[in-house]
Amino acid sequence: MEINMRLFFLALAAAVVPGQALAANQVALDNNVFVERVSTDATGKQRVLLEEPKVVVPGDKLVFVLNYRNASAQPADKFVITNPMPSAVSFADAGDTRPLVSVDGGKTWGLLPQMTVRQADGQTRAAQPADVTHIRWAFQQPIPAGGTGKLMFRGVVK
Amino acid sequence: MVNAPVGGALHQYRIPSISYIALAVALALPMQAQAAGTRAGSTISNTATASYDAGGGTQTVDSNRVDLRVDELLDVTVDSSDPADVATTPGATAQLLTFSVTNNGNGVESFGLTTIANGGGDDYDPTVTQIYIDNGDGVFDANTDTLYTPGANDPTLNPDQSVTIFVLSTTPAGVGDGNRGTVSLVAAAKTGTGAPGTSFPGQGEGGGDAVVGSTGADGQDQGAFVVSAATVSLVKSAVVVDPFGGSEPVPGATITYTITATVAGSGSVNGLAITDNIPADTSYVAGSITLGATALTDGVDADAGDYNGTRVNVALGTVAGGQTRTVTFKTRID
Repeated sequence: MEINMRLFFLALAAAVVPGQALAANQVALDNNVFVERVSTDATGKQRVLLEEPKVVVPGDKLVFVLNYRNASAQPADKFVITNPMPSAVSFADAGDTRPLVSVDGGKTWGLLPQMTVRQADGQTRAAQPADVTHIRWAFQQPIPAGGTGKLMFRGVVK
Repeated sequence: MVNAPVGGALHQYRIPSISYIALAVALALPMQAQAAGTRAGSTISNTATASYDAGGGTQTVDSNRVDLRVDELLDVTVDSSDPADVATTPGATAQLLTFSVTNNGNGVESFGLTTIANGGGDDYDPTVTQIYIDNGDGVFDANTDTLYTPGANDPTLNPDQSVTIFVLSTTPAGVGDGNRGTVSLVAAAKTGTGAPGTSFPGQGEGGGDAVVGSTGADGQDQGAFVVSAATVSLVKSAVVVDPFGGSEPVPGATITYTITATVAGSGSVNGLAITDNIPADTSYVAGSITLGATALTDGVDADAGDYNGTRVNVALGTVAGGQTRTVTFKTRID
């Protein structure tokens, strides 16, 4: 009984620690956010540093990094990662990772250049990065067992 | 590498290193000028979700959640609201300059106000007497606007809120026509100022830090007065005509006095009047006053001239710089 209780507590602990909880789901998804800080050294040369911030201010440039790992013994098929943009962050770009985006709260999806936004006057215009509400990567091929990868996108604190 | 179809990302895709990301960020993002932005004290949370099928149906998994607290950014701008230099005159009091102070930060902030009148680059230093905080109508009225007392009623502004500030000055008496005098209004965040990035731990709205923004948390702008003054010079001449057709000042001869007032400068003079006493041993010739080509009556009436028994007076009123007025009158030698 005492051993069982201990196991129970371990399981509880696992449930509240995200990384371990994800491992139990076979696929782990780890989310990191960095802020870009520019520092100028004595020679006037600018260095760009990525820091893990606790606090940010409007105008800070954020880099969101998502690490995924298929910890199971089976390939993970139909692998889709979706990240709603935090409301206080304006999407900038996603590097070369070619995500699908939504500009209507996740109802419709497409590549940003194909998306349009209906304006208050009824006219439509090409969607801008700042219109993006959700980002999604839909993998065409299964993630093999043990496969890992990294995705990223950037945004600016509104 | 296999190119993924539209919308797809290769799971093999790797980001070589963090420094690569950093470089790309620097190239990709122009400086974005945000107004007030996300309110200080709010939290930015990010969570991603993955769905997949590992043979047993679709499963979903959430990532860890990252929470970022938004700190208070201290930013303020001051703008002169006067479209051009404000005209003033030597010795004038309560001369008005108007400014706008805007909280460009993302939290409620109070701002201390000061002025700089000796900043140089001008011809004289106005003497600042009072600062008033507008009641919202944008028009200065000492009865309805609030007299500013530093530390007692520093204006407190919400993010993106502006307030109109009136600065009253006295123009020194000795200034000359065309002289310029400037006054700068300075607004500084009460939480603190300093180099951009300076942090005041725990002093931000919502309990976070307050961080100095790109403005240094203080701002200033300059307003200017230009002196519009005028000077008056009087020239008096006399022509004598004697009863015998000559010009000898003998009894019975008539003296015609001509007084020319010349106003110079970019300003104008108000209430200009020419008064001349009739000399002893002469008598005023009734009805002889003229202003320019116009004859004036001797009575105190609608026209500008009068004679009261001892002196001639012509009220010229307001005369702008560059103009002249010529008054004549006659006396007879007793």
